[in-house]
Amino acid sequence: MPDFFLLTVHQDTEIPVDEMLRAAHRFGYKGIGICSEHAEPSHEPDIYRGVEIRTDSVSELRRKLRRYWSEVPLLVVRGGDEKLNMAAVKDYRVDVLTNPCGEDWRVELKPQMLEFAARNGIAIEFNLSGIIGSRRGERAHILRQMHESLKQMRRYGVMPLLATDVRSIYDLRAPREMIAIAALYGMEREEAIRALSEIPAGILTRRWKRGMEVERL
Amino acid sequence: MMREKRRYILFEVISEVKVDKRRLQNAIWDSFYSLYGDTGASRSRLWLVCYDSGIGLLKCSHRMVEEVRAALACIHSINGMRVAIRVIRVSGTIRGALKGYSGVLPRNISR
Repeated sequence: MPDFFLLTVHQDTEIPVDEMLRAAHRFGYKGIGICSEHAEPSHEPDIYRGVEIRTDSVSELRRKLRRYWSEVPLLVVRGGDEKLNMAAVKDYRVDVLTNPCGEDWRVELKPQMLEFAARNGIAIEFNLSGIIGSRRGERAHILRQMHESLKQMRRYGVMPLLATDVRSIYDLRAPREMIAIAALYGMEREEAIRALSEIPAGILTRRWKRGMEVERL
Repeated sequence: MMREKRRYILFEVISEVKVDKRRLQNAIWDSFYSLYGDTGASRSRLWLVCYDSGIGLLKCSHRMVEEVRAALACIHSINGMRVAIRVIRVSGTIRGALKGYSGVLPRNISR
């Protein structure tokens, strides 16, 4: 099995970050990406500190991207509406777009947006917490949306990233279990392995950004 | 009639407070029914062989291991308490599944 990485672990975890890393190792992950509001230094080799940008304003998004791009190895943008999703995927400095379908899973991924995401090497997160934490009609709706999103992403060659909303050790799921959950909405085993290993590893080393002109401040 | 192959899944329950076997069993069945329905549950031949001190052993059809994994991963709380279930090992025999854990579970199972 390859090395697995769990990016987009939240900063406000209930236990210290080094304990969270130990728990993640036990679950089978090589490293974790911790996302906070501001850039913070990392002292552990398997902890990658990133910044998660949460905003409703496109101008603030651009300002924060300019500010943090050269400081952290991981830049995550929390999407949610079409305008913000589009602004995020148009900027090659973004590594991951999370929550693109919004809290209620009603926003659809537009073809133009996916073209930009593929061109700029931006991964789109599939947050499995939606499936884990819901039941019946709500879960069926989320699975349908994820299935549709996956089909569109395959068509345009956008990289998927698998994650859960990790705030405590009870939110952790092992890679094999994540792969089994991803199969519920049609993700192939090889695709899911790549979404937990090669894609996050490439994000952390900026492999997907090679050949792009990088603006450094 | 040929006997269907089975798999034994050794798992660990990580929980805020101790979870009893009956509640865990209900949570596993509930999660499996919710994801795969009655037909899926009948095909799975799922059975909780034993559970003690946070470590349990499930038996299921060899064709349904991934479905059982998904059902276990979808359990996030039992009786209002947060839990996470981690699969330790999958094996075709009880002996193989319990390698290194035989002392944890009842003697009649670990033999």
